Amino acid sequence: MSATSVTSAPEDIIVSKKLGFGFWLCVTWVGLMAFIAIFASALPLKSPTANFLDSARGRPPYAPSWSHWFGTDKDARDVFSRSMYGARISLTVGFAAITAGFLIGGTLGVISGYYKGWIDRISSFGFIVLLSFPSLVLAILLTSLIDRNLLTVSMVLGLLSIAPVGRLARAATLQYADREFVLAARQIGATNRRIIIKEILPNVAIPMSSLALLGMAVAVVAEGGLAFLGFSVQKGITWGGLIQLGSDASKTLQDAPWIAFFPILMLFLTVLSLNFAGDRLRTFFDVKETTL
Amino acid sequence: MRYYVQRVALAILLLLAVSMLTFGALNILGDPLFNILGPVAGDVNNPDSIKMIALAKKEFSLDRSLPVRYFIWLSDFVRGDFGVTFSSTGQPPVSGVVSERLPRTISLVFLAQMFAVVVSIPWAIIAAARAGKISDRISTINAFFLVAMPNFAIAVILKFVFSLKLGWTPITYVADDPLRSRLFQLLLPALTIGLPVAAVYQRLLRSDLITTLQQDFILLARTKGLSKTRILFVHALRPSLFSFITVVGLNTGALIGGSIVAETVFRIPGIGSTLVESIFRNDFPVVLAIVMIVASGFVVINLLVDFAYTLIDPRVRR
Repeated sequence: MSATSVTSAPEDIIVSKKLGFGFWLCVTWVGLMAFIAIFASALPLKSPTANFLDSARGRPPYAPSWSHWFGTDKDARDVFSRSMYGARISLTVGFAAITAGFLIGGTLGVISGYYKGWIDRISSFGFIVLLSFPSLVLAILLTSLIDRNLLTVSMVLGLLSIAPVGRLARAATLQYADREFVLAARQIGATNRRIIIKEILPNVAIPMSSLALLGMAVAVVAEGGLAFLGFSVQKGITWGGLIQLGSDASKTLQDAPWIAFFPILMLFLTVLSLNFAGDRLRTFFDVKETTL
Repeated sequence: MRYYVQRVALAILLLLAVSMLTFGALNILGDPLFNILGPVAGDVNNPDSIKMIALAKKEFSLDRSLPVRYFIWLSDFVRGDFGVTFSSTGQPPVSGVVSERLPRTISLVFLAQMFAVVVSIPWAIIAAARAGKISDRISTINAFFLVAMPNFAIAVILKFVFSLKLGWTPITYVADDPLRSRLFQLLLPALTIGLPVAAVYQRLLRSDLITTLQQDFILLARTKGLSKTRILFVHALRPSLFSFITVVGLNTGALIGGSIVAETVFRIPGIGSTLVESIFRNDFPVVLAIVMIVASGFVVINLLVDFAYTLIDPRVRR
């Protein structure tokens, strides 16, 4: 291979300005998961909590079969329908957390980037304080102290996403705060509030929104990690909890790997889709920041 | 010089804020008295319980106000006295638990970081040299797959394949084993933490390398007739390492999170698994000490990364 390829390489990989087939495939998968999460109880799924004991097959767990596609766990509960129901808490928490993070962190970031001064100093310091904890440690600390339900777990993960989202929003706002069209709006007497909403926000919101999918992937993984360690929503089925159940005892994992592996597959495909779709959107809108 | 003083002052301020937040959260959201005594704490009609409550309050300074308790705790903490574990006899002291278990976590995180750096640099260089070709596409897809795999899932898969099915690696960590076998026992946990991180580093370094390779001095090096390997490893790598170093430092937080998961799955008595156990046992001083140590370590590492950055790029010091 000649040395030419060293420099000629980058021209070959100019990213096409199309979202592409992969993007839509990923969006379809996430959409399908969201549909299942919302309508799980209306779909013809087996009950996720019923015990399907089968005297002909001896003691559960039963391996995957025609009647139980993903097999059953050691209480003879259907792993397929549990994996489907697991999408509920995982996706709800992921979605709610990133929404809260964008609303609060985005607002704080835009305000501190626009007004600068002491507001900026205080909120930036707050962001750094939140980022001084390794995120899983802070999440464990907070969830261990509260009554863990759908709302509180989402709030904790939302709190964790405030700082990264806020810093990005602040950086994006700083780019626009002194541009000509903002000065022009101020010259003709627009209020700060109007400038933020009409001039700044449209410019900041589009690149930020392309990061929402990546952020949701992070939140879904974080919820999975919390559930795996036993710090997520107490009642209910989550992917992380299912994986924990299937891998807690080495014997279970060895003899009945399907209990852990099918939820892993669901979680993996969902996170992969969110990441891939988010990454495509990011290149599509040409957003440089990747610190989320 | 002024830059360094400012950075150190900020780090100290951050540590104070972090300690207040942690101490406050545990004292306000949690109930320290209940954590010490259990159900007895709520039993205020029984004279025996009242006596025990008064004693415990005195012993743990719970009769003082929150700020006073914070200062008592902080002055003890900076002198290395982390208090006693709440459970039963109060033995061993928390500092003993920490000093026994912290080295395991540090070596685990260090191994994982080493693995990620050592793997990602050549991986990124090869991918960048063949950017856009089929081998690069395959490696990008692989990196995507690894990044999308949560570390608890990787832990379960590695444990299933290498410990349970192939039987190559031991399932548990034995603290009394000689160093070599303990390092071997840390192999899978380190892979658990390091694999997804290596993929993150690779993606970052690859794109930085591609940008560097488009610059004029690479063209010059090429026209001088330098070998491709030399251009890649010597000329292109160094200027591409800036954001790589920052991210390697910042990622320590993710590595610590990963070590909590890895220690739990592979049953390593490090501070990550101890944190989880202590929370379930409501052992408040241990939780406080571990969170503080981990957060302090993280702040210090970020400080060091900032300083390292000034050595590479002096413009930052302005």
